[in-house]
Amino acid sequence: MKRGLVEKAAMAVLGIMAGMGVLVLVLILAEVFLRGGGALDAGFFLEESRDFGAAGGVRYQITGTLLLMVGAAALGLPLALAGALFQTEYLKSPGLKRGLRLLIYSLNGVPTILFGLLGYLFFGIYLGAGVSWLTGVLILAIMILPTIQVSVQEAIEALPENYREAGGALGLSRWQEIRSIVLPHSFFGIVTGTLLGLARAAGETAAILFTATAFSGARFPASFGDPVPTLQTHILVLAQEAVNPRAIEAAWGAGCVLLILVFSLIAASLFFRSRLSMEFDR
Amino acid sequence: MLFKPRSIAVFFRILVTALALTATGLIVLFFLFLVKESVPVFQAEGARFLTGGDWWVGESYGAGPMIFGSAVVTLLALAMVLPFALAGAVVASEFLSPRLRWAMKSLMELFAGVPGIIYGLLGVGVLAPAVKDFFGLIDGNTLLTAALLLGLMVFPTILTLADDALHAVPGKYRDQAQGLGLSRLETVRAVVLPQARAGLLGAVFLGLGRAMGETIAVMLVIGGRDQVPSPWYNLFAPGQSIPSKLGREAAEAVGAGLHWNALLGLGLVLFLMVLGVTVAGQLFLNKGRAT
Repeated sequence: MKRGLVEKAAMAVLGIMAGMGVLVLVLILAEVFLRGGGALDAGFFLEESRDFGAAGGVRYQITGTLLLMVGAAALGLPLALAGALFQTEYLKSPGLKRGLRLLIYSLNGVPTILFGLLGYLFFGIYLGAGVSWLTGVLILAIMILPTIQVSVQEAIEALPENYREAGGALGLSRWQEIRSIVLPHSFFGIVTGTLLGLARAAGETAAILFTATAFSGARFPASFGDPVPTLQTHILVLAQEAVNPRAIEAAWGAGCVLLILVFSLIAASLFFRSRLSMEFDR
Repeated sequence: MLFKPRSIAVFFRILVTALALTATGLIVLFFLFLVKESVPVFQAEGARFLTGGDWWVGESYGAGPMIFGSAVVTLLALAMVLPFALAGAVVASEFLSPRLRWAMKSLMELFAGVPGIIYGLLGVGVLAPAVKDFFGLIDGNTLLTAALLLGLMVFPTILTLADDALHAVPGKYRDQAQGLGLSRLETVRAVVLPQARAGLLGAVFLGLGRAMGETIAVMLVIGGRDQVPSPWYNLFAPGQSIPSKLGREAAEAVGAGLHWNALLGLGLVLFLMVLGVTVAGQLFLNKGRAT
């Protein structure tokens, strides 16, 4: 009798603690929509920012964020795909495989500000790309490389062995096997990884802050050498310096836009991943 | 046919290898760069760079307060969030229906992706004023505020990873324990938690690594003072962490001079701290999966 009571009490404590953690997070994120939702109208998306963010919208901030994010994924995806195929299909030594794997996983943990510092040193100064969206794209591409590669690699490694055996029995070469078995069947993994990479690039601030973005004076870049305004820098500058309540509302509005963008990308990735697991359950 | 299938296969193999090696080479080059560029500050300051308490640009570079700030803020964040995240993981893995568990995991994955700048905005707009009013401080930007914010940020990451670790414990152990007459909760305590220990440690370490490297959110609420507070356990004082220092000063120091080398030296210290924690975490996670 007493044992059942203790069990119930302990369960209640566990449930309350878990619920509290989730609830606090939900409430605090809802705050972004409560404070910024009012700023979202058609003009906010279509007009450019004026008066230190107090008037107009965030049109060029949105295009800037999208440019950096898409550029980074376009560059990161081939590299990640090659990395994953190299490790799963071509590399034979298990020691080297483990080493490369550990390298990719540790790269995933490297603080993003370090990508900014080193990427700027390498691409911005040594290669002469300066503070530009090109530098930002290069930095972000390396930053999201492990995100994409891990996802692709896990999908390839989850490929049932009999698929490959069927390919081997047909006398397929490695390349034919990759083209007609490995890539088609890891398609959802590739999509999932790319979406997660896009989401990571879209939310990144520290790595592009002083390497690729400008708060004012920048619009749509005319060349690779121009910096872009982004939602992230816009929010950062306004959060630190704005005093005008309209500008502060604009910061929350920009936060809403960014959060919606990132949430949709992650939600899409979750959808595609459930497709992936269904594929193998069949 | 212009190209034989054989030559396409060879070309593809070379392409894949070249791209993979380029990426790997670039990563290795990055790390070598970090070491090379931070050498001058270690030559100029010696061990004082790690222990010194004064950071005056142009005069002396002591990283002590930043290392202290990083350690205090991340450990405190972890200590505050761990009970809640672990409770969440136990509930999700052991007591929720598969459908509910999936919903909770998806929600956590969504939250784990919330950009640092959003937390930064919430920190400036909500948390710092709340800390200020609640504790009656003059300024809400303190080490405690930064730790609270970081705790919120890593909650979903730790919960998901810990849930994975618990879920990896095979069901037959639970069946056996319950067959011996243990209740569901006793099963968790006596069987599941010990079995999942490696995976849980992995989750904690990876969360710690993530918290250590967070720049923007911490930078906005930590107060930005390069001093160890006195007394050192005064969490209501402003401070500085390594990433927040880098985020504040990188733009002005970029590219040249000892100031830049000093920042990269800080970066190296941060990198080694995070690398140690992350690699340890990954090894624990792999070990947890293997059993």
